Amino acid sequence: MSAGDLFLQQVLNGLTLGFVYALIALGYTMVYGIIQLINFAHGEVFMVGAYAGLTVLLMIGGQGSAAGLVAALGAAAVVCLLLGLAIERVAYRPLRSAPKLSALISAIGVSFILQNAVMLVYGAQDRYVPAALPASGWKFGAVTVTPMQAVIFGVSIALMVGLQALVYGTRLGRNMRATAQDPLAARLMGISVERVIASTFAIGSALAGIGGVLFGTYYSTINFHDGYLTGLKAFTAAVLGGIGNVPGALLGGVLLGLLEGLAAGYLSAQWKNVVAFAVLVLVLLLRPRGLLGERVAERA
Amino acid sequence: MRKRTSLAFGLILLLSFFDPDPYRSEIYATAALYALLALGLNVIVGFAGLLHLGYAALFAVGAYTYALLNLRLGWPFWLGLPASGAAAALAGVLLGLPAIRVRGDYLAIVTLGFGEIIRVVVTNLEGWTGGPNGLMGIDHPSVGPVHFGVDSKPYYALLMVLIAFTAAACSRLKHSRVGLAWAAVRENELAASCLGMNARQLKLLALGIGGWVAGLAGCVFAAKQGTITPDSFDFIVSVMVLAMVILGGLGSVPGVILGAVVLSVVPELLREFTQYRMLLLGLIMLLLMRWRPQGLLGPASALFRRVREPAA
Amino acid sequence: MVRRAFLLFSCLWLFSGCGKSEPVIKIGFVAPLSGDQAAHGEDLRRGAELAIEQAQARGPIIPGFSVVLVPVDDARNPAQAVSGAKRLAADPHVLAVVGHLNSSCTKPASAIYHEARLLQISPVSSNPEISRQGFDTFYRICPTDDLQGPAAARFAIQRLGARRIFVLDDMTTYGRGLANEFVRAAKASGAEILGHEGITQGEKDFTPVLTKIKGLDPDLIYFAGMFPEAALLVQQKLKLGLRAKFLGGDGLFEQALITLATPAAAEGIYLTTLGGDIRQLPTAKLFIEAFEKKYGPLGAYSSYGYEATNLALEAIRRAGKKSRSAVLSAMREIKEYPGILGTHIFDSRGDTMIRTIGVYTVHDGQFQFVEASN
Repeated sequence: MSAGDLFLQQVLNGLTLGFVYALIALGYTMVYGIIQLINFAHGEVFMVGAYAGLTVLLMIGGQGSAAGLVAALGAAAVVCLLLGLAIERVAYRPLRSAPKLSALISAIGVSFILQNAVMLVYGAQDRYVPAALPASGWKFGAVTVTPMQAVIFGVSIALMVGLQALVYGTRLGRNMRATAQDPLAARLMGISVERVIASTFAIGSALAGIGGVLFGTYYSTINFHDGYLTGLKAFTAAVLGGIGNVPGALLGGVLLGLLEGLAAGYLSAQWKNVVAFAVLVLVLLLRPRGLLGERVAERA
Repeated sequence: MRKRTSLAFGLILLLSFFDPDPYRSEIYATAALYALLALGLNVIVGFAGLLHLGYAALFAVGAYTYALLNLRLGWPFWLGLPASGAAAALAGVLLGLPAIRVRGDYLAIVTLGFGEIIRVVVTNLEGWTGGPNGLMGIDHPSVGPVHFGVDSKPYYALLMVLIAFTAAACSRLKHSRVGLAWAAVRENELAASCLGMNARQLKLLALGIGGWVAGLAGCVFAAKQGTITPDSFDFIVSVMVLAMVILGGLGSVPGVILGAVVLSVVPELLREFTQYRMLLLGLIMLLLMRWRPQGLLGPASALFRRVREPAA
Repeated sequence: MVRRAFLLFSCLWLFSGCGKSEPVIKIGFVAPLSGDQAAHGEDLRRGAELAIEQAQARGPIIPGFSVVLVPVDDARNPAQAVSGAKRLAADPHVLAVVGHLNSSCTKPASAIYHEARLLQISPVSSNPEISRQGFDTFYRICPTDDLQGPAAARFAIQRLGARRIFVLDDMTTYGRGLANEFVRAAKASGAEILGHEGITQGEKDFTPVLTKIKGLDPDLIYFAGMFPEAALLVQQKLKLGLRAKFLGGDGLFEQALITLATPAAAEGIYLTTLGGDIRQLPTAKLFIEAFEKKYGPLGAYSSYGYEATNLALEAIRRAGKKSRSAVLSAMREIKEYPGILGTHIFDSRGDTMIRTIGVYTVHDGQFQFVEASN
């Protein structure tokens, strides 16, 4: 395998992961855009999505299939949508007027509860996710693309296009943009800010749930710990791209996935996570608005 | 009433010293260690209002500093103690320098990021830190003829002394000019700056002091365990200490000690239910924020006053 | 109000400890009972439990005392292992400890048991350094990795014809140690080591490093680590179309490996084990029958848990009294111990002289014995 082929394969691996990050990052970025809060529990929503998908796949017989995958995606989307609504209701809405610290602690609490709950129900060991699609892929030279990777690319891009359409083409989207710009004015214009916030959580969580199923079927094993680390990296992606910015989430996710994959492939797998965190810290310090974000005024 | 409660507390403390059960002495020692950590974090989060999610990293710096000084250079515990404190204080300030430029929730994430970076770096620098397997054979302290060994009681006593000094210092600080300055910066940084306070220096001071305390705790921890591994310093430790501070009441010195004791002892009581530990911790945090955000002994701090949404 | 509650609580707590002591002898058992390697720990525990059950049926081990197993979970986490060890060491009823499973846990814990003068018998921790610390409290009933590594190298080069090998380990005491032994032996036999890298336990995505390995085109990948990571490696290797053979250590010897990796991906991989095929040993027949009757199919480590616990029981029985130092002396006196794995003779470091290393492969979703060497 030539060095060029090797590089392309590494790029492909990184991109796959990057798209998953992007899906989760969308949830972070949307919620932050509306209520200026980092939804610490979002990573756990992703994890719950993966487990929801696993449950569906097990229910229909434990053998993977394309239809099963679709069912799993749908189920995860619904479950996570509801979960997102519940989290907003329980952990964020009562603390709307409290300082950020309270909401953050509250979210961390939810995160712990979800992790533990999943551990109790599904066990602490890794769970195997039946492969939905055949493992052998298409060869382009020496580079292999598996069907699962293709699905990840396809689904992610479709969802993001859909989200852009929603945000810029529908009334809900307009309301969301208005609330993000100025909640008070939006309310004065007759927009139900509560409804908008709830919808934002719902959509972001559904996307994360789908990301979870894709992640689970791609890596074939899931664990209740997956939410924390992946969530943190997805947050990095959101920040990198510009928090509050939807295409930014995609860009950030892809970039981060690439960086990580290349670091793991060319430097060492051991330092992979340092790369991700270092990116996070550097972006927050040097360019907090991210690559595509607008300059946000300092609140006094 | 105050005096009687203090007397009662003192009595309980004395009794705990004479508890013959070694298993329970271990619990007391652990609670004391967490109490010390909580005091340190309280300075950063409670006094200066900086949301720090990476405190475990400073704890780790303290522990590894003593471990390395002891294993590689043969330093005894009593020299290692101030060295660890200094190292962690330095780390706190250095990591804080870039971090305090960003506001609120971003600060939390940056400190979290730093915390994780340090943990991963420690895990990977095998030559220095022993990697994921950590460092073994760290010396226990000795005071004259008394060698500390495996028994938890001497560590408990040592920690009580450290807690006493730290708590006294913190109380003094809180009501001093520095403490009032911290309060001003915490409540409204812009106004405080306009009044001539150097917010940056004040924040760094808090980070340094918090780091110093974490360093002391880390040193005692390393000496007590004899072996340290990176696993002991991950994010959940940071969150636990933060939860103790919040449970006890942000900014309240006796409060955070109480919070530490409660959150150390309760999981032990529920050891049959270790599986539910995270669940309960999460529930506590959730409910606490909802109904008693000022914690058990905290004052109705302005930090938690319900504020109306500011006009855009 | 809060203060009063706290006062009440403290009083209750402090005085609740005034209990009587019962005539019981405890044997501590430490292994990962939760987390990703729990399957291994459970295997071990069942063996230990069976041993205790059989002992209890035989009557008091020392006149007037019953014996009980105290399982402690270390979740393969060295910090937790140290806490668990301290807990056991602090309990005066504990006269011996069977454990831990992972060398990275056994090693730091052994220092604690040594300080507490508490007998420790390790069933499956194979890192040689543990017994080189000079702790007279440490004994082990399995061969060490300075035997397993070279045996693996021999098998790889002579049987599998490997000339170009890439080595991976999980950076634990066990994994790193075993990998180093393998590399040393393989190089001495003339094989080319294309690279030696570490992965982290708990990590999921090995495609970057596997892609790198694919680019180097080795004959064989040697992995010194545990089954959760091995399962992922084997599976991702298949997905990448990486055709090199795969050889691992005893950490892979767990049915969960095949389940997690899928039988298709695990087909044809090899692993070395700390002992031969137990079903071929006449001394183990009764044990296997009793175990399978109670628990079902034999696990990879069940026999070790059984053996180690019985050895501890024997030492306690010979000591004749509830004293840790008596148990230690009694253990020292045991010149030969006829166990189910063979007759153990312990050298000056506490290691057994049984040095059999086995080789297994995976075929049709099951482990199959290939050969053994002494």
